[in-house]
Amino acid sequence: MALNICWLGDLAKAKASAGQTKKPVLLDFFNPK
Amino acid sequence: MGAVTYPNEKVVKFVDYNFVPVQIEVSNTALMNQFKVTWTPTIIVLDADGNEVYRVVGFLPPEEFIPTFMVAKGKWYFNADQHPEAQGMFDEALRDYPDSAAAPEAVFFLGVSRYKMSHDPKPLRESFDTLTAKFPGSEWTKRAAPYRLIPA
Repeated sequence: MALNICWLGDLAKAKASAGQTKKPVLLDFFNPK
Repeated sequence: MGAVTYPNEKVVKFVDYNFVPVQIEVSNTALMNQFKVTWTPTIIVLDADGNEVYRVVGFLPPEEFIPTFMVAKGKWYFNADQHPEAQGMFDEALRDYPDSAAAPEAVFFLGVSRYKMSHDPKPLRESFDTLTAKFPGSEWTKRAAPYRLIPA
C-alpha cells in the first residue's frame, strides 16, 4: 500500500478539499533524492 | 518516511481517514520559504484557511507517526473549539499508543480540553498528576507544573 496523496504540489487544491471534507491538511515537505 | 512509514497499512488508513495529504518537493522554494522549512522531512498540519496547527521535523516510524498526528488532529479540533472531538482524539492516542513519545502532550491537552468543556479545573490537576507519575521527564510535565496548585 502507499499513501494516496491527494494533491502533489498543489496546496490551494488541498486547502479547498480540506474545507469541503472538514479535515485538516497534512503538508509533507520531502526530498525525493 | 516514503520508504518505511508511508507504505505502512495502518498509516495509510489513518492518513486517508483523518487528513487531506499533500506533498511538496524541496524544489518548491516558494512554499519552502512561505512555511520557513529548512529541513526535510517536515510535516505541517494546516486548517482549511492555511493556519499552522502542528509541525514535526524529522523521521517518525509508524508507531510514532500515528499517535503524533492523532495529537495534531486533536489540536486541530481544539483550535476550532470542538472540544469533545479533541478529547476523543487525545483519548484514542492514549488508549492505542500509551507509551508513545506523543503521549505526554496528549495527556496535557486532554486535561485542557476537559477544562474547556467543564470550566472545572480538576482535569488540569489530573493531567499534572498523570504526567508526574508516568512521564516525569517530559517537557509537558514541566508545562503542567502550575496545575499542581489546583486542589485534587
